[in-house]
Amino acid sequence: MTTQVPPVETATPGVETERKTYLNVTKGFMSWAGTLDHKRIGLMYLIGTSAALLAGGLFALLVRLHLWEPTGMLFDNAEYNQVFTLHGVFMVFLFVIPAIPAALGNMILPLQLGAIDVALPRLNLLSFYLWVTGAIFAILAIVAGGFDTGWTFYTPYSLYTQQAVGLIGMGVFILGFSSIFTGLNFIVTVHKLRAPGLTWFRMPLFIWALYATSILQVLATPVLGITVLLVAIERLYHIGIFDPRLGGDAVLFEHFFWFYSHPAVYIMVLPAFGIISELVTVHSRKPLFGYKLIAFSSLAIAIISFLVWGHHMFTSGQSTYAMFAFSFLTFFVAIPTAIKEFSWVATVWKGSIALNSPMLYTLAFLIIFAIGGLTGVILGALNVDIHLHDTYFVVAHFHYVMMGSIALAFFAGLHHWWPKMFGVMYNETHAKISCALIFIGFNATFIPQFIMGSRGMPRRYATYVPDYEPYHKASTIGAMVLGVGVAFMVYYLVVSLLQKKRAMENQWGGVTLEWETPTPPPLENFSKPPVVTNEVYDYSKLDLETTITPAK
Amino acid sequence: MFTTLIQDPPAAATPQGPDYATGIATETDKWGQLTKLASTFDDVDGLFYFTYVVCIFFFVLITGALLYSVVRYRRKTYDQPAASNVTHNTPLEVIWTVIPLLIVMVMFAWGFKGSLDMTYVPSDARQYKATASQWNWLFHYPNDPAKSRNELWVEIGKPAEFLLESTDVLHAFFLPSQRVKRDIVPGRYQSVWFTPTELGEFHLFCAEYCGLDHSKMYAKMHVVTAEEYADRPWDTFDDSTPEAAIKSGESIYQSACYSCHSVDGSKLTGPSWKGLFEKSGDQIVGAKREVIAGGATQTVTVDFDYIKESIHDPEAKKAVGYENANMTPFKDLNDRQIKAVIAYMKTLAQ
Repeated sequence: MTTQVPPVETATPGVETERKTYLNVTKGFMSWAGTLDHKRIGLMYLIGTSAALLAGGLFALLVRLHLWEPTGMLFDNAEYNQVFTLHGVFMVFLFVIPAIPAALGNMILPLQLGAIDVALPRLNLLSFYLWVTGAIFAILAIVAGGFDTGWTFYTPYSLYTQQAVGLIGMGVFILGFSSIFTGLNFIVTVHKLRAPGLTWFRMPLFIWALYATSILQVLATPVLGITVLLVAIERLYHIGIFDPRLGGDAVLFEHFFWFYSHPAVYIMVLPAFGIISELVTVHSRKPLFGYKLIAFSSLAIAIISFLVWGHHMFTSGQSTYAMFAFSFLTFFVAIPTAIKEFSWVATVWKGSIALNSPMLYTLAFLIIFAIGGLTGVILGALNVDIHLHDTYFVVAHFHYVMMGSIALAFFAGLHHWWPKMFGVMYNETHAKISCALIFIGFNATFIPQFIMGSRGMPRRYATYVPDYEPYHKASTIGAMVLGVGVAFMVYYLVVSLLQKKRAMENQWGGVTLEWETPTPPPLENFSKPPVVTNEVYDYSKLDLETTITPAK
Repeated sequence: MFTTLIQDPPAAATPQGPDYATGIATETDKWGQLTKLASTFDDVDGLFYFTYVVCIFFFVLITGALLYSVVRYRRKTYDQPAASNVTHNTPLEVIWTVIPLLIVMVMFAWGFKGSLDMTYVPSDARQYKATASQWNWLFHYPNDPAKSRNELWVEIGKPAEFLLESTDVLHAFFLPSQRVKRDIVPGRYQSVWFTPTELGEFHLFCAEYCGLDHSKMYAKMHVVTAEEYADRPWDTFDDSTPEAAIKSGESIYQSACYSCHSVDGSKLTGPSWKGLFEKSGDQIVGAKREVIAGGATQTVTVDFDYIKESIHDPEAKKAVGYENANMTPFKDLNDRQIKAVIAYMKTLAQ
């Protein structure tokens, strides 16, 4: 969509002054630490969540290396249990949940809405500092002796273990508030700060996805906070809520936990869907197929996701009626998800497909998410799930969704908006090599896990029956390739910031509002509020000159 | 944790693993996605492979369409517009909503029927009990005082129902060959049943994370013929001669104690058994041990009473250096069995 506003004059003609962007408008530590600018806050989130990703990835590589031998290579059982727990906690709470909404969402959402900032900039900064505080608690918990409960904190084990469960519980509690505040902020922003003419059905799908996510964050996260609080009370005062020795119910915790954590899966994956919807249309230069159906399927998924938590507990001894309902609804949620996948493929069909690195990451996502989603269907069947529950099959399935889909969508979005954020381009050849390494390494890591899981290998095992050794070895080799791919990506992205090779004004030929401002954007985003007159993703209005004009 | 990582070289601290069953990979199923089915729950395999084929079909469809588009409609010049600007196609969208919906409803009904079968226990099922504790299994046989630890015998073709109980945290009873799994929740009874259809040894795993030695909480299930079953192979205890007693004591050690207590002096979760008894001339006598009882340190001489108390009530006297180690009480061991264990301990004396 284009606007009626002429391009903004950013520098006096003939005078070689550096244009003021959000990156250089003010300098000094406090101009960042106290900033209310959504782009700067998004950038700080990007640094923080990326650090969490690298730490979590390091733990993952240690886990895989350890499992090279059936008796374990690196750790004793106590250390192994801590390392896999750290991997889960860092990845879920510090990376996957905040990465797309808080880092990329913060950066892009106001730009795509044509707004100056989010509706509540101070709350936005508070969210970030809560995230930092949560991360500090996680690190304190490691220093204080670590924790070995798994990221699920199942009772009663989490009540009895002598380790630093209290500290990490506090961290998760605080991170929950960070998530809730971001969600609230985005909801208000989407309702109140859309540019004139930007009706609901002209909004880019990334906004729709973030909006659906925000609703989930606000409604589901308090349950996590309450649950963590109850565990803390139980540990300190022995009330008898979850502890069977005191008459409590251990399964009640599982219900509470998954009542949050299943919607949380969609808190994590919906923003990824949003990125992919966005990238598929830009890089195919074709309107999104089934725009409304995709927008509504996000909302449908958000609603149904509250009603399927019991499918994490098919072996816990639920009543037959509960099993019936949870299995039925689980299959039902597959449909809106399938509609999305089909619509993306139909968007690529007969497009004008640019095989640049964001599109390669997007294609990798579409293939990997197909596997992640389809294996979810296998797990939805009650009797099959009884066999596969708590095995590596489940581990592989959710990594196909969490790592293969969400992290890949994050990488895709990062490569797509990198030139917008910094005004510089990375080395495209390097990016393609890294994408190939990540795609190959990822599949080599987790396809063996599908096989050994369906053959009975239980998860969270520090040592294992030698029958599974070939699969573990293959998986470990794959993980190393994946690790090299990610490390290489970090390398060339950092190099791009140092080399400062100018990106194009509109690098990919996008027609959403974020490409209507100079690259990188000035502090106030738009000098005049843009007015939207076109339908969404109308590439007939694309000014091709901007795609070959270097950014100033 | 990382300090210990640096101090301890890569060698695994506990080289002894459980005595594993002889393997899941047989010649015929080595490359199958599932291991060979060894129970009557064939709906699991049927539905698994049905879903698998459906998934492969859709996967090929999706990636095929994607790769074809990428090759056929690749952008060659920077200003190339899309070959089509279609934004929706209602019949197509109805088709790809309704057909997957019908397919998943078939899967749902099949899976639900299969799970109902798993709840109808045949009336002639033999009733066992399995007690899960950190980190071992104890199996009780119907109308039989002898129990077995970390080893289980069932009869081929005879339905077996298990009442499951936990003495501490969550565990899960998982027999991959039988396609059954059930969480074991402290404070409530759960049950599971299956009819074994193949002779041999099979893995029994704990599938729910239960702490330190979760991965070593393993039992071997023997599926045997009716004749072999009638011999009560689980009752291996024999103390009729001193040699038999030592052997019985060692087998109790192998089934219940090995994961926390070494016999070579190395430090595991609990104190090593080496040196509990010492050679003194021709005699083997109990060593002196520093223990903490009721908060105060005292010295005990290792004897039958001390060993029995340590097995039945491990919290009463805790060895110095192991104050924070938690041991599950093994109250089912009777005096004769404990004497056999002591006979085995005495063979470790130096």
